[in-house]
Amino acid sequence: MSAVTAERRIVRPRRTDVLPVAALLVLLAVGASTPRFLSLDNVKAILTSASLIGIAGLGLTLIVIGGTSVSLAISQSVAVSAMVFLAVQSAGLVVALVVTIVTGALITGLQGLVVGYGEANPIVLTIAAGFALTGLATGVGGGTSVSPTGTGYTVLNATPGGLPLSVFTLVLLTVAVQAVLDRSVFGRLLYLTGENRPAARAAGLPVGRVVTVAWVLAGALFAIAAAFSGAFNTSANINLGGTLTFDAIAAVLAGGTPIAGGKGSARRTLAGVLLIATVSDILLLRGYSTGAQIMVKGLIVLAVILVVHLRTTRGRP
Amino acid sequence: MSLIRVDGLSKSYAGTVAVRGVELELRAGEIHALCGHNGAGKSTVVRLLSGQESPDAGSIAVDGVPVELKTRRDAQTAGVALVDQELSVVPSLTVAENLLLGDRDAGWLNRRRAQHRRARRMLDDLGLTHVRPEQRLSTLGLGERQLVEIARALGQRARLVILDEPTATLTDVESEHVYAAVRSVAAAGCAVLFVSHRLGEVLALCDRVTVLRDGAVVTTSDADALTVPALIRHMLGESPASAPRTRAESGETVLELTSVSVPGRFGDLSLRVRAGTIYAIAGQLGSGASDVLRGLAGLHPALAGQVTVGGARLRTADPVAAARAGIAFASNDRKSEGLFLDRSTGVNLLVTRIPALSRFGLVGARRWKETASRLGERCGFPANQLARPVGRLSGGNQQKAFVGRALDRSGTRVLLLDDPTRGVDVGGRAAVHGLVRNAAAQGVAVVFSSTELDELVDLADVVVTMYQGRTVARHDEAVPGDVLLHEMTHGTEPG
Repeated sequence: MSAVTAERRIVRPRRTDVLPVAALLVLLAVGASTPRFLSLDNVKAILTSASLIGIAGLGLTLIVIGGTSVSLAISQSVAVSAMVFLAVQSAGLVVALVVTIVTGALITGLQGLVVGYGEANPIVLTIAAGFALTGLATGVGGGTSVSPTGTGYTVLNATPGGLPLSVFTLVLLTVAVQAVLDRSVFGRLLYLTGENRPAARAAGLPVGRVVTVAWVLAGALFAIAAAFSGAFNTSANINLGGTLTFDAIAAVLAGGTPIAGGKGSARRTLAGVLLIATVSDILLLRGYSTGAQIMVKGLIVLAVILVVHLRTTRGRP
Repeated sequence: MSLIRVDGLSKSYAGTVAVRGVELELRAGEIHALCGHNGAGKSTVVRLLSGQESPDAGSIAVDGVPVELKTRRDAQTAGVALVDQELSVVPSLTVAENLLLGDRDAGWLNRRRAQHRRARRMLDDLGLTHVRPEQRLSTLGLGERQLVEIARALGQRARLVILDEPTATLTDVESEHVYAAVRSVAAAGCAVLFVSHRLGEVLALCDRVTVLRDGAVVTTSDADALTVPALIRHMLGESPASAPRTRAESGETVLELTSVSVPGRFGDLSLRVRAGTIYAIAGQLGSGASDVLRGLAGLHPALAGQVTVGGARLRTADPVAAARAGIAFASNDRKSEGLFLDRSTGVNLLVTRIPALSRFGLVGARRWKETASRLGERCGFPANQLARPVGRLSGGNQQKAFVGRALDRSGTRVLLLDDPTRGVDVGGRAAVHGLVRNAAAQGVAVVFSSTELDELVDLADVVVTMYQGRTVARHDEAVPGDVLLHEMTHGTEPG
């Protein structure tokens, strides 16, 4: 391939770009024709529902980019972190937040240690970790819900400017994670490790440490989502996380971050979570059942994976 | 009586002639060796005979009947079985299951008893009475797996069994078993085509020898009439002249190996590596040459012995520690263990210096770009190539990027290159050699492994030859190629 076509390739949109653009236009058209979709309240509703999944999704994005597949223990990690958050409320909000984030970072970071240095399979490991966390939480708490021991948490339920604090947090964290990925040494190493771990190892890059740090940061982000979730629900038990694991995975994939690692961004995850929230919202407004909403979520993920796959395989020898 | 006749066989790849007009006659009951140095066309002949490639011209006849071998299946039907360099047996299956893998008479029912009976017979035919059919293959050693594969080839009612470097990774004892198996295959009336780099075994085992050079047959003669030096002369033609070497100023010792070994790969290697000097470890597949480099790079967990870099003892089996000590390693597997193929050439040049380009954990975008373009220029990449994914470049350019990432780095003290010009064209080769010389001139100690005589003679200041995991000789002065080839293929110093 000559240099000329290489340049043209960058300027000219690819054929595979047509599909996502068309899908977005259809989405907007359907939205515009849906009553109440274009109201301020509705936009707020979309953002609110996206915020917690989005924050957890940012954490998962780091894990995926690092080439360590996904964590299947996100729900459990979030639930345990939220229980800790409410249980230590008596110490004040700031202390509670710090303790929660450290707990979350530890829970997921320990898993990252095994994945990074021990080269364990993340899927298998996180399934086991999920059961362990559930068992631990049930054993310690006797299966009951944790209630807040103080009232500091109510600050997290504030709605400055009419939007929940979690939405602002999501935007801020997206910018922060993106900056870490783009600008930091860790970010560069994470992409390289994710793309080709044997090559990174042979080059003497600190592969184990990079993976561990990615999981520690992911755990911290899960904990932030957990604090908001605990504050919103004012009580927490092991089932608090609900379907968060798969919602976060869906958000990352719908944003177009390939599961194979080495590529992706925080922006993409933000886009992915907004896409899913918007579609769910349209379906809700149009009176479709929960079943239909879940099914469409699956179809979106499938379609994006297909487009990403086509884009990455086209033009390769 | 000729069993297989090959006439005027030719094949080119993308304009490069791999074999031209090869004539080969294989008789029933004979063991026929195919010899030649790297790139002489041995593998192409094997691929053509086993149906993995179709010839551009020429014919293959079995029992006087011309056959067209378009797939490996065709070759099997015609009675040609290949025992490949890479074993194609399944470790998790039993010996019997492996023996009958792909067997067309097996039917669709898994009849275990009958299977075991047949497997037993196949094993006995080769004298493998100690191997049980119900044993899992993973319980056998590498040599015995090779034997199982030979038994399978024979059991497929092959007329011709091709063995492509069957003993390259085996020990002497294991090799002896393979020789015995090969003899009984020939005694059963098959023809055996034996491809090997070990010239001693070729002369001892084979009845006749065909030597290839530059894709053409140089000679076919009885093994009795040949000696190792004569064989080497045929393989090389005019021996590459040992060019007068401009010896680099020997610097201080940067890397010192004391009784270093990797069990099963190589043993007891001691070497002092000086700054600004280029060392070559010359050895064929299975000689341990490549394992020495991998071991030094921290990629062999079982490495034993003491390694010091700049006087400080190196923690072995830790690639991060090796990199920190200033060892840069370029694997012979560029694609899966070397480059980040989807990333740009620029990024690939900077892989090992990311911390150096940053302050407080943040990468300086401007310094990043400047360094990339400076290195790109140094390695001879045009500016527009820097932004392109390195996976789209030619082999030579890829290797340039790979070597380039260790250059101009204050931290690099030792550069390890495992077969640096594998899959690289002539132009790319010169460029890579230029970069390596450059690095040495800057005071980096270079150690590379290779089997290419030109490369060994041209590039290296010091050549260490290895054979089956042991050091054969060390040459500090210029040395002719035929001596190196003798040592690499026979394990002894000539004369």
